[in-house]
Amino acid sequence: MKYNIIILQLLITAIVFPSIAHAYLDAGTGSYILQLILAAFFGGLFAIKLFWNKIKNLFKNLFKSKKDNNIEN
Amino acid sequence: MKTDCIIHSSFRDPSGFLFYKNGQIFRQVNTSYKDNYDLLINSGLYKSLSDSKLLIPHQEADINLAITDSAYKVLKPELIQFISYPYEWCFSQLKDAALTTLEIQKQAIEHGMILKDSTAYNIQFVNGRPIFIDTLSFEKYNEGEPWVAYRQFCQHFLAPLSLMSYKSISMNQLFKIYIDGIPLDLASALLPLRTRLRIPLLSHIHLHAKSQQYFSDKVVNHGNRKINRLSLLGLIDNLETGIRKLKWKGMNTEWADYYDDTNYSSASFNHKKEIVSELISKNKPAVIWDLGANIGTFSRISSSKGIRTMSFDIDPACVENNYLECIRNNEINLLPLLLDLTNPSPGIGWDHSERMSFVERGPADMVIALALIHHLAISNNVPLDKIADFFSKISKMLIIEFVPKSDSQVMRLLSSRKDIFPDYTQSHFEHHFKSYFNILTSTNINDSERTLYLMQKK
Repeated sequence: MKYNIIILQLLITAIVFPSIAHAYLDAGTGSYILQLILAAFFGGLFAIKLFWNKIKNLFKNLFKSKKDNNIEN
Repeated sequence: MKTDCIIHSSFRDPSGFLFYKNGQIFRQVNTSYKDNYDLLINSGLYKSLSDSKLLIPHQEADINLAITDSAYKVLKPELIQFISYPYEWCFSQLKDAALTTLEIQKQAIEHGMILKDSTAYNIQFVNGRPIFIDTLSFEKYNEGEPWVAYRQFCQHFLAPLSLMSYKSISMNQLFKIYIDGIPLDLASALLPLRTRLRIPLLSHIHLHAKSQQYFSDKVVNHGNRKINRLSLLGLIDNLETGIRKLKWKGMNTEWADYYDDTNYSSASFNHKKEIVSELISKNKPAVIWDLGANIGTFSRISSSKGIRTMSFDIDPACVENNYLECIRNNEINLLPLLLDLTNPSPGIGWDHSERMSFVERGPADMVIALALIHHLAISNNVPLDKIADFFSKISKMLIIEFVPKSDSQVMRLLSSRKDIFPDYTQSHFEHHFKSYFNILTSTNINDSERTLYLMQKK
């Protein structure tokens, strides 16, 4: 009975224990988990930043071509 | 001339290592790194980085130079003239090193690769600017995988820079104690509370430290959680924002106003400059170390002649001023660095030999020691004989200024203490230095009590 419990524990550990890729550095579990959370958050912010830059450039070009038209007239 | 051997600090990376052969440095690339090396070249990343002077260029060399059987290639990287370490850099040098690392990371991701480590020791200063020297640090980027070197970047760059900015400019000296950058729990404990209001510092230092602590004894199933490319770029972008926002307030220290403060008449100052310039031109050294260089006024005499000059000073404000001036003027021959001569950089790391001591990086063809000796002999109680001995270890030629007790600066040093220096005289100075050097010339500086010597090591 005791023997079975030990095997069960080993099996659980084998399943649950993360198979981290053979990395050059020890990234650290804490760093890994935090990165997962932060990356999602900052990824969203970054997407908005890129989108906002696109909008800004669009308006810049829009006003630039309007200005060129006015000068021509 | 170093004997053939693997370089002491180059042992952690199974992808390859640096070694000396026939007095030259080579890098062996092991077969385990073959795919990544080929990708580095074929993706265009190597060209992109070396063209923009972000990565040290190399030539492919004869494979027969390899030291072991596991070699795929042997590379000859461009030589770094002087190795320096993050505890010898001023604030802006470390900040530029951080931004360079992130720029390289962004370009790597664009080319389908990623940095597998982000240690500050991957950066060296070449022609006055930070450059990445670890060619084997690039790995194939598999989208979804997190950045393994994220923790290391926080410890090597974000933590020390924020501590230097918010706490004390000397916090980069912690690099001497902590070989892998500043531990985040220490940084978090030292940083003032108001840093928790800054998102990058809150996230990458404070929460990071807490997360490390919480998971330190836990086993976690990471499952299939992935980080997509945009999220990774967002993380890097936030790290960059965090670094860029860090500034050093309070640049003024006791040494920064030195030249306004001393009573150098312009006659003596100009005469000194003339003598130094002449001595340098006549002797044509290839490398000059200027000790106690302050903001680099005399260092620029040699660097403007095209001579590689290291400009050392104990004061972070002076080194910072000097470096910012180098950037403004695009100077390529000058490298300002921090150095406390009474406690110069030791050999640290594994077996005391991962990072070289100050002395191990010499001797210099020529050392310039102006307005320095009285600080060592009187302020720091170092006997003249010991000063001469030390200088003989680090120089082949020496330009040194003797500042006698009758000089106003020395009188100032002695004004608040007992004069226990009966041997601090010009004749004793010459006597002790003659044990190690031949005195070639000595010139009295106009309008002052000081004498400038040119010496050659025996």
